[in-house]
Amino acid sequence: MRRLLFSASLALAGLPSAHADDMHGMAMGHEAPLGFDAAIDAAGHLWVVDTVGEHVRARRSDDMSRSFTVSTIVNPTGEPIYAEGENRPKIALGPKGELYVTWSQPRKLPWTGFVRFSRSLDGGAHFDTPTTVHADRAEITHRFDSLAVDGKGNVIVAWIDKRDVEAAKTAGKPYLGAATYYSWSTDRGAHFAPERKIVDESCECCRIALARAPDGSVDAFFRAIYGDNIRDHAFATLPAGGASPKVERATFTQWHIEGCPHHGPSLSIDAKGTRHAVWFSAADGKATIWYGQLVPGAPPAHLSTVATAGASHADLLADGTHVWIAYHQMSSEGLNLMVRESRDGGASFDEPRQIAHTANASGWPKLVLWDHRAFVAWNPEGEFRLVPTEALK
Amino acid sequence: MKRLLLLAALTVAMPAIAAPPTAFTPADVKALVAPPAKGVRIVALWALDCAYCEENLSALATWQRQHADVDLVFVATDAIGQRDALSARLKAAGLDSVPSRAYAEATPDRINYLIDPQWGGETPRTLVIRADGTRKAFSGALSAERISRLVK
Repeated sequence: MRRLLFSASLALAGLPSAHADDMHGMAMGHEAPLGFDAAIDAAGHLWVVDTVGEHVRARRSDDMSRSFTVSTIVNPTGEPIYAEGENRPKIALGPKGELYVTWSQPRKLPWTGFVRFSRSLDGGAHFDTPTTVHADRAEITHRFDSLAVDGKGNVIVAWIDKRDVEAAKTAGKPYLGAATYYSWSTDRGAHFAPERKIVDESCECCRIALARAPDGSVDAFFRAIYGDNIRDHAFATLPAGGASPKVERATFTQWHIEGCPHHGPSLSIDAKGTRHAVWFSAADGKATIWYGQLVPGAPPAHLSTVATAGASHADLLADGTHVWIAYHQMSSEGLNLMVRESRDGGASFDEPRQIAHTANASGWPKLVLWDHRAFVAWNPEGEFRLVPTEALK
Repeated sequence: MKRLLLLAALTVAMPAIAAPPTAFTPADVKALVAPPAKGVRIVALWALDCAYCEENLSALATWQRQHADVDLVFVATDAIGQRDALSARLKAAGLDSVPSRAYAEATPDRINYLIDPQWGGETPRTLVIRADGTRKAFSGALSAERISRLVK
């Protein structure tokens, strides 16, 4: 009777019946965060970073993910770590075998964070004590870190930063979104230059895509804000010193949203300098992953639809005239890992092909290249694997 | 027993007692999106990481207080393990009297899809479900005027 009355009151109060208290402390699927990053070095070793509790872990596999021969905790002193979705640890490889790792550390207040960095100069046996990349230590957003190494071996870190929002608030001035900042190190990560603003009023919750251009520079492609909350993307080259970045609009979907898309783009630049990109938009209520070749300042060339409803978190990789796009396709049966492939430099793509499936969840797919073959790094239910992209003939 | 009945009656009569979010599983989706017996149900999807969500929840709660036929439910796309953080955020914003749920899965994508296949997971997301079975959805923070257009 008691239980009945309880249920009745819950139902009448507008709550679909839920045995609320039964759920306390229960394990709901996977408990460990699924955010990871992966890269393959020149010798064909696969490097993977993910998190174990308050620790970032770097692992090396010499047999394409079947086993891991090195597993090192990057930060022996634990700290909170953002490790889900668009906010996940990153790894980048230097020209002399350096391993660079970044992550975002949540602070006490909502939406706050510091961008953290560590490196290993001994092939992953040890990592240096983590440092905070930015000089600004206000308890505000410095999150959604992205990491890349340019052609000279300089380390570039970009992130979303709210110091200008705070300043505008204090001055009673309107400010949309957040700013995007970056810093660089010319000494293999021993020191970082004082951070520099890329642009004001950009989107506050999407990862920043970084890619190396044929001239060795690192280019950024990220969600910005145009006019009244039109959340399209900007393109900018991020020099290690010298002139300030020139920021130009690069997508024109006209998606208006006063909110958080949680869908960052991806960028890969081929040897000819063609900027292959994928990005998400839900303009007119139609969730769409777009492919295009960026022409900063003008609409992209070769614009095409990669996928629509239920598709998300696309990653892209170009190698010569070969272009791969990997993405998540949700269905009522679970999550499908999909790939679309172009052999004509992105002019046309094959039909979507399912290459893996899980009834549960995975971190966002990440394409890696080895010997002109593309693999998708994936970790359904926390089990890391490399999925080949080739179709079975 | 009498006391229990009285308590139950009070629970019903009062504008819902402040309670922490309860777990929302894939099996709960059907009931959430089913047409209400009368009026409209507004499902306000939000996330801790979304800086626009509180103002949206607040605008919807204000709207509901002025419209008796509106059944409002907050659903956080964050995992129920974040219950304390979710509760604290709602309480600080004075929004803890609205019935509240949080995803029972650590990654939101599957439940997002089950609730609305057309939704890419962007927040805030507001679903309006009418007694006649029709639905409308909007991504982004709503003003009173926009709510009015969405509900009509």
